[in-house]
Amino acid sequence: MTSPDIFYVEDDQDFAFILEHAVKEVDETLTLSVMEDGRDAIARLEDYAREKMRPRLILLDLNLPGLSGLDILKRIKEIPFLRHTPVILFSTSDDPADVRASYEFGANAYLTKPSGYNNLIDCLKSLHDFWFTKNKSIN
Amino acid sequence: MNNYQVDLTNCDKEPIHIPGKIQSQGFLIAVDIQSYQVTYVSDNISAYVETSAGVLLNLHVSVLAEHVPAFPSSLDFEQLFKLGRSQDSFDLINPYKVLIGDSPFYLIIYTSGAEYVMEFEPITLDFDIQNLIGRSVSRILATHSLSDLLGNAALEVKQLIEYDRVMIYKFHDDGHGEVVAEVKNEELEPFFGLHYPASDIPQQARNLYKANLTRIIADVHSEDSRILTYEGKENLDLTHSGLRAVSPIHIQYLRNMGVDSSFSISLLSKGELWGLIACHNYTPRFIDYKAREGAKMIGNILSSALEYRQTEEDGEKDEVIKDAVQSLSTYLEKDVDLIAALTKQEVTLLQVTGAQGVAICFENEMYTVGETPPMELIEDLFGWLRRNMQDSVYHTSQLPEVYRAAAPIAAQASGILACMLSKEMGELVVWFKPEQLKTIHWAGNPEKNMEPAPDGTMVLSPRHSFESWAQLVKNTSAKWTAVEITAVLRLREKILYAVNKKASEIRILNERLKMAYEELDTFSYTVSHDLRTPLTTIKSYTELFLAQNTSLDDKGKMMLDRVVSGADKMTFLISEILKLARVGRSDIDFSKINMSSLINGIVEEVTFAQKSAHVDVQIGDCPELSGDQTLLSQAFTNIIGNAVKYSAKSENPKVSINGTVGEEEIIYSIRDNGIGIDINHHDKVFELFKRMENVKDYEGTGVGLAIVKRILEKHHGRIWFDSELGTGTVFYMAFKK
Repeated sequence: MTSPDIFYVEDDQDFAFILEHAVKEVDETLTLSVMEDGRDAIARLEDYAREKMRPRLILLDLNLPGLSGLDILKRIKEIPFLRHTPVILFSTSDDPADVRASYEFGANAYLTKPSGYNNLIDCLKSLHDFWFTKNKSIN
Repeated sequence: MNNYQVDLTNCDKEPIHIPGKIQSQGFLIAVDIQSYQVTYVSDNISAYVETSAGVLLNLHVSVLAEHVPAFPSSLDFEQLFKLGRSQDSFDLINPYKVLIGDSPFYLIIYTSGAEYVMEFEPITLDFDIQNLIGRSVSRILATHSLSDLLGNAALEVKQLIEYDRVMIYKFHDDGHGEVVAEVKNEELEPFFGLHYPASDIPQQARNLYKANLTRIIADVHSEDSRILTYEGKENLDLTHSGLRAVSPIHIQYLRNMGVDSSFSISLLSKGELWGLIACHNYTPRFIDYKAREGAKMIGNILSSALEYRQTEEDGEKDEVIKDAVQSLSTYLEKDVDLIAALTKQEVTLLQVTGAQGVAICFENEMYTVGETPPMELIEDLFGWLRRNMQDSVYHTSQLPEVYRAAAPIAAQASGILACMLSKEMGELVVWFKPEQLKTIHWAGNPEKNMEPAPDGTMVLSPRHSFESWAQLVKNTSAKWTAVEITAVLRLREKILYAVNKKASEIRILNERLKMAYEELDTFSYTVSHDLRTPLTTIKSYTELFLAQNTSLDDKGKMMLDRVVSGADKMTFLISEILKLARVGRSDIDFSKINMSSLINGIVEEVTFAQKSAHVDVQIGDCPELSGDQTLLSQAFTNIIGNAVKYSAKSENPKVSINGTVGEEEIIYSIRDNGIGIDINHHDKVFELFKRMENVKDYEGTGVGLAIVKRILEKHHGRIWFDSELGTGTVFYMAFKK
């Protein structure tokens, strides 16, 4: 078992599909794993922790059926091995209440899902630039 | 003190029940109840029998016949007294027929103080009057209405006593009298409808009318006869006498009126003197005792009928009023429109009293029914009542006397009955009664009873003139009855109940509306949110498709570009709606906002986003505001954004922002020299999705100003603007300090 560069929890298959393409467009070497369900995602993350593996970046959709992005965020912060893995909340909502809550639970960033493929690429480019190129020390 | 009162006072002092004289149509002997000795004899006894009064004084009653040969030997006074004493009344004996000489007489005995009084008067009626009276009574009672009852009674009495004029005279509350029915010989002047001053019948005369129900004055021109008694003995009390002499003042009064004989029958209602059946004859005419008793019986029957009919008629009026209150309260329950319930139905406010008009002020609107004064005068009156009413109900029958300004409306509003519904709201109902007696026709001027005596002093004198004298009674309406006032109080309760019910219904409705509003906010929030996702999908796939299919021709690319830009527009719109919904959903978190840094930040962001660095934005004073950081930021972003956007294409575009601190408010103005707003669409500017004609070339959704307005409302602030097309616009936002 290997951990991906980006661990993404998203129930919207369309968005996940678009994002997969966008990630490849930004850097073909990046690996991405997508989980649709919060519970499964946590189980997978716990597996990684046991195997002492960690993704380089965790992206969480905010509104998920069952456990929400915030719930997952809370659990991640409870796993000591993963506590310092950067987590970014990724949502269509730009509600200030959601933004505030995310930071309170320890999110490293809150991003409103860009509208459209081109914007998404721009967004991912800057993400990649920041988290994988400039902030290598984090990982 | 005026003449009228002098007259009344003097007349009231005359001791008319102990005149010491009798009329001369009969004679009188009184004996001591204990000793049976003669104590009083009328001087005129010598005109009837061969004796003189002085001879009879002090004789024992048993020897009277010896000294009066004309008395029949069978006349045993002692026996009669014994009978009367055993019966405790002389009713069974009276009248006792006696032949004196050859003439038939009635002997009438009654008790007066310590004396038995025997009055002898001639019998003039040679037939039995009982049957006649029986028929009269049934004819009187055959009618239903009060006025017919009175008319019939007058007619029957006239036929019974055959006098020239018979009137029913009614006493009003203030003691003055009015002729309410009259039967008379054709050639006579009618007195019907005339009013007579209270002083015409002084108080002690009224008392006698109550004690002795008939009164005959047989001939005003005849000489009275003195009553002899011992020196020092008081005058005989003649209260119950049929012969009592008449006050010289009254005799003069009758003579002045041209009356020779007068007869009256008292009418009592509930123990009080209701009026008189007053009969006048213009030649001397004595009425036989039995005929007088018959008339008395008619009087009795009329009295009880009056009492009954009056109660019945009052009762009917009360019923009408009670029914009206009931109907109105039913309308009030059914009709949500209070005014319609009270004024538009078959039964209206008017029927709650005997008023001619009514006005109601409710929710700042005035409504009237019936005859009321002109609107502007009602308004004044209502204002006066609002300032002066202490209780919930106020009434007067002489409004212009209490409220001078009502003089011009005396005709419709001499009487008012006001009922306060709500003092805070100034809501009240006022019923109007018209000036009731426009003119009172007095039988002679009641104020001219004084005339100079030969020695030059003013003495009272009965009137000489009975010529009708019209007095204008001003500013007075019919009185408000207890029933009317009670009805108004009851109606008031019903109205207040209805108003309260309506108020609580409105409160409930308001709550529901608030809930619906909140639901709508939640709904639009959810819907907008959910719409975003598929929209993003559409756009993303389209862009991905475009990115991966480089072989696509220009036309295909162009069409897919349109899909993308359509999706963009929709995304923007949705995000605006989301913002609006969020304003409604959020609770305001009031804190002190540093406006200077907020506005500087906004200006930087706006000019950058709109690529409008060429717009000269001037920031003046930025006083601190108390409010919600996010919402205020949103509001200022919108307004400043608009100012920049709509002035960007002007020559030397300029936007200036300035805040001023007023007494109660802090007002921010945002001025631009942009395209301006058509003043005709003034009221539409803040409506959702409304965009003005001149902004077609500018991007926008028509939601921005609606959001700003809502944010201001949330802050209990206000927003407005001045504008001129092509010149510029100033938006003002005012916040409470």
